[in-house]
Amino acid sequence: MAAEPSPVMCIEEENLFVQLTHDRLDIPSIMARVKSPKAGAVVLFAGTTRDSFADKPVVHLAYSAYAPLALRTMQSIARDVKGKHSLTAIAMVHRLGVCPVGEESILIAVSSPHRLAAWRAGEQALEECKERVEVWKLEEFGGSEGAVWRANRDGQAGARVEDTMGDVGGQR
Amino acid sequence: MSTPKAPAGHFTLLYFASATSFTRKQHDFFAAPLPLAKLYNAIEEKYPGIKAKVLESSALTVNLDYVDVEEEVQKGDGGLVIQAGDEVAIIPPVSSG
Repeated sequence: MAAEPSPVMCIEEENLFVQLTHDRLDIPSIMARVKSPKAGAVVLFAGTTRDSFADKPVVHLAYSAYAPLALRTMQSIARDVKGKHSLTAIAMVHRLGVCPVGEESILIAVSSPHRLAAWRAGEQALEECKERVEVWKLEEFGGSEGAVWRANRDGQAGARVEDTMGDVGGQR
Repeated sequence: MSTPKAPAGHFTLLYFASATSFTRKQHDFFAAPLPLAKLYNAIEEKYPGIKAKVLESSALTVNLDYVDVEEEVQKGDGGLVIQAGDEVAIIPPVSSG
């Protein structure tokens, strides 16, 4: 049985749960949070780390967050999506720290009486998370490529860590 | 994940993503009170080039609320003033999921 989530890293309301965690994401656990005799449809989205970005091999992704704000934003999105689609329940969990290739970085689970609302809600929840949640992805390519802070918006190219490093006291 | 506590008469400025790469830090303390309109220049003085490389494409929060820096600059003396104990954060373009 998974340990209780640390209080400062999750927000729980009636039929709504959002969490940030450094642990591997737990699919059966998030499904259990949204399943209900009232809900005939459960939709789960799992985002996983791919082994490449624009044909460049990725060693791993590392996620960092402004935790109190990210949680607040996830809560706001969850409330909004739950209300708009009249969901039975919604749960969203984002992983922090290193996320190896093939492992899940985000889970979104929604449940509703019928399937149309569940499909739509799941999609909307993910798109809004990607646009707004205060979490940042550092893509580690390894070798001379270095690392890149990815930006979701407008399909923008990321900022290479080397390029963003300031000239601190003449040293690099 | 706990926020560093600013010494008396200071506020905390949190750095994330490209801001942490640029400054090589997670946070700084700055003297308060400081009008928000003067914040970017204060950061630029400490880290030359950060405005162009990071700040101009980032958002800003004060005590977990987003603030429109441009708007506060326009207000001149009537603009937001950062107080001692406040938590200010530089929010570069996000990339969750």
